[in-house]
Amino acid sequence: MNQFNRPVLRKAEFIKPPNILKAKVGSGGLGDDILNKAEKLLAENTVDFQPLGEMYLDSLARGIQEARENIRGDDQEPIIAGMLYPGMQLKGNGGMFHYPLVTTIADTLIQYLEVIERVDEEVLEIVQGYHTTLRAVVMGRIKGDGGEHGRELHRALLEACERYFSKHPDNKQASA
Amino acid sequence: MTYQFYGINILIVEDNQPMLDITKSILLTFGVGRVITARNGETGFKEFCNYNPDLVIADWMMTPMDGITLTRLIRTDKRSPNQFCPVILMTGFSERRRVIQARDAGVTEFLVKPFNARDMYRRITQVIERPRQFVKSDEFFGPDRRRKNTDSYSGPMRRESDISGQRESYELDIDITPHKKDS
Repeated sequence: MNQFNRPVLRKAEFIKPPNILKAKVGSGGLGDDILNKAEKLLAENTVDFQPLGEMYLDSLARGIQEARENIRGDDQEPIIAGMLYPGMQLKGNGGMFHYPLVTTIADTLIQYLEVIERVDEEVLEIVQGYHTTLRAVVMGRIKGDGGEHGRELHRALLEACERYFSKHPDNKQASA
Repeated sequence: MTYQFYGINILIVEDNQPMLDITKSILLTFGVGRVITARNGETGFKEFCNYNPDLVIADWMMTPMDGITLTRLIRTDKRSPNQFCPVILMTGFSERRRVIQARDAGVTEFLVKPFNARDMYRRITQVIERPRQFVKSDEFFGPDRRRKNTDSYSGPMRRESDISGQRESYELDIDITPHKKDS
């Protein structure tokens, strides 16, 4: 048997639904004037990110605490998710509301948590470091990229993650 | 000639009120006629059934029902008024496995947060101009996870369909380009 006479394993039907949206909106796209107006609206939004940021930071702190209490638990996925999800919210929302440094830092926290297999004390120390740094940025109302100091803080956290994986290469998912 | 969005209605499902407000404002600036809102997947599905919107923009992480479960309901629930409705999923995740997870639930496009107005516009344009065909099998019902690509190939034409002008190739279309403020 080869690929030419092998029986079909899965039957699939392909459907082309009518493009209702296209029929309603027509052609031509939107002009730059409208898009610039929308960009301006986003850039000038006056939403105070601090209460939202605090809420996600509290959630991250709870996630760290729960991970500490269940550090030897068999099912590590919910333990990691408890820290990963608030990290994702900080990453997604920081940049929307003028805190790009929160996004930059939280992004590397997510990348770290996405690839670890198991939580241990050193992992929690690193995540705690992220929490402390993110809290300082949010509570200090450090908008923008944080300048050289922001880059230094970020670099220090990244180096901590790199050091961890150099020491524990086995705690990294095989596909990562 | 430009897009006329006044005749369409869009459902936004987002639990974060500032994010919901800002997304709604962007859509209204685009000229969308009606923007319906809901704070989680559960109420989102009720509104979906009530209004049968032309497009759904949903957040991923929500309680008690997230955007992935909402998408599954839209695609497979008997009460769904339009199983083919495009769904754009907003999320802070950009890792490939998360994108694949969303695609497997039937999501049409993926919008990575933080985004700017042009990022959102590009996703809506994709849905309008490059709609996905749907796949129905025992294991899956939803938009084809490979996007039909008809114009990027510049090599020799050898297939029968090339001669008849129906050339088709496919790509796994995952746009997870990091957001740039100035783009």
